[in-house]
Amino acid sequence: MKKPARTAKLSPPKTSLPKIALTKKSAGHRAKVRIHKLSTGVPGLDDILGGGVPEFSLNVVAGAPGCGKTTLVHQIAFANATPKKPALYFTVLGEPVLKMMRYQQQFSFFDDAKLGNAVRFINLSDVALEKDLAAVLEEIIAQVTAANAGLVVLDSFRSLARKAISDVGEVEVQSFLHRLAQFLTSWQATTFLVGEYVEDEVRDNALFTMVDGIIWLSQVTERNSVIRKLQVMKLRGQATVPGLHTVRITEDGLQAFSRTQGLMGDRPKPARRRRLSTGIPELDKMLGGGILEGDSVLVAGPSGTGKSALATQFIAEGLRQGESGIMAIFEERPQGYAQRADGFGLDLKSAEQKGALELLYMRPLDLSVDETMQAILDAIKRVGAKRLVIDSLVGFEMALAPGFRTDFRESLYRMIGALTGAGITILSTVEVEDNFISLQFSHYAISFLTDDILRLRYVEIDGQLRKTMVVIKMRGGNHSKDIREYVITGQGVVVVHPRRTDYAEMSTGIPHRTGPRKAQENEAAPEPKASK
Amino acid sequence: MRSIAQRLINYESPGNASTGTSDTAIFLVTDRLRPHLATLMGNSGFRALLARALALASAEVSSLRAIQVNADGKLEGLKTLQARLRPADFREARVVLLAQLLGLLVAFIGPALTLRLLGEIWQQLEADNVDFGNGDKK
Repeated sequence: MKKPARTAKLSPPKTSLPKIALTKKSAGHRAKVRIHKLSTGVPGLDDILGGGVPEFSLNVVAGAPGCGKTTLVHQIAFANATPKKPALYFTVLGEPVLKMMRYQQQFSFFDDAKLGNAVRFINLSDVALEKDLAAVLEEIIAQVTAANAGLVVLDSFRSLARKAISDVGEVEVQSFLHRLAQFLTSWQATTFLVGEYVEDEVRDNALFTMVDGIIWLSQVTERNSVIRKLQVMKLRGQATVPGLHTVRITEDGLQAFSRTQGLMGDRPKPARRRRLSTGIPELDKMLGGGILEGDSVLVAGPSGTGKSALATQFIAEGLRQGESGIMAIFEERPQGYAQRADGFGLDLKSAEQKGALELLYMRPLDLSVDETMQAILDAIKRVGAKRLVIDSLVGFEMALAPGFRTDFRESLYRMIGALTGAGITILSTVEVEDNFISLQFSHYAISFLTDDILRLRYVEIDGQLRKTMVVIKMRGGNHSKDIREYVITGQGVVVVHPRRTDYAEMSTGIPHRTGPRKAQENEAAPEPKASK
Repeated sequence: MRSIAQRLINYESPGNASTGTSDTAIFLVTDRLRPHLATLMGNSGFRALLARALALASAEVSSLRAIQVNADGKLEGLKTLQARLRPADFREARVVLLAQLLGLLVAFIGPALTLRLLGEIWQQLEADNVDFGNGDKK
């Protein structure tokens, strides 16, 4: 807000090259310039950009109105501006500064102590309206020179360019951009040109050829859900993460969720891995001693077969062994979960209070897998979790915005890969319908994502609908092939019978007897269920 | 708001702080505000804000209807008004107008940023520990 020296001339900057250094890997290697990268202050975005925004680069932040362009550049400005190297925010024929300040101060990153010294707003609308591009450039040069700006924002560049094109033509605008880029780069300023562009313009508009970086923001609407997306279309000299990444705007500003989040730095599983008990001794035997650490286990079965109970026992056993856990639940409420566990004699509440367990309850209908994964990763970090339950994949899918459901398998693959890569053992449940014709594992065809599959199903035996379980697959070792009957008691899931040899076609759910009929005792009461 | 408006007018007429009768004080305050606000909002933005403040102030002090905001964002007709009014009434008109202008700024950008903006022009405000809650904390 200080008045610049209007007579300031284009002269070499006083600062030397503090953050660019010529580095030599070893004798004989060609020295390369090391480009310092500015942190954006946007969680998740630096990783997507390949480390941050290259210093002194000229970038376009583009997208339709309402995508978060202005908030993004504000966040970058506040994250990097200092009184010695301030950020100059030039507004041109766009949102009035008073309104910008009115709304942007609602975000937590808006530090009003920086206003006027580290972050300065300058309105160029009058110059743009009353004069020409040369005058606009002259004003920018004067202000940047006077302030020794380290970061420059021009918002909206599109409006300025559109007016100038109608006044003087496209060549003049290109010439202006060229001179602007030359000055700002020489002045060691990192620049962001903000504009409302549509994607088709990228091909024909010379602006996009000239700039070093293009960050594209968009809003994707599908049915009733709207998801914000970010794409780094271009960033010279850096390995960015390709593709569309989810962005969410909260009271803290933007947060970006990389679509390859967690896959970076994926570590191979160690050759010798521990076996983790499920908390069900007979099931551990069926699994050859337990679940291999770092495996992804799918427990598939119809409603009421005890998937959540089994998952709870898996977590509770981990807690008994001193392994913290996370339960990401999408269908039931945490209270119901804890109450059922109480019924089994498993005390989840104490573990929660001690910080060894977190129940993540996620039901919003516009979640992205990346956001969910971030929430789970954050929780894993918080409690140092070794075991994770996802209950259930069907609920997980329902919690996603419709646009993400089509990519559910791919997203799940990334998520499971990332988490097991980090050494977390995952037990996911999935509801499948028993059709009494075939043995389905999951309607997602996601069994390839999992190391181990445990199938629960109803079987009609002796006039009763009983429950059986079988280990379908175990990637890391041998396992029992037996179909075993189990019940859900006050202790949870309990495997009660060895394999049946007096029936054939158990897997169909309607087996036929091959052995002699045994005398049956009438059951006095139904098997007990956990009280809620 | 009135208290701060009064204070700013006094800052610009220190010799008359006790009586506040300087006929140019209101010009000085708005003249000093104008370049700072125009940097943020452009001249047209400042003009619009001042015109709105004048409209609001005129509803309180009808004599202010004789005042206009010109194309440069300056107030016109203030001296004529001064000649017509008693000194106390003229002073009240200026305070009301400035208070409305400050009120608009507070409404748009909040008290903290408004004070920060004013503090860049009048450093004394910080020393005087002023806020918009009660005018000043002293």
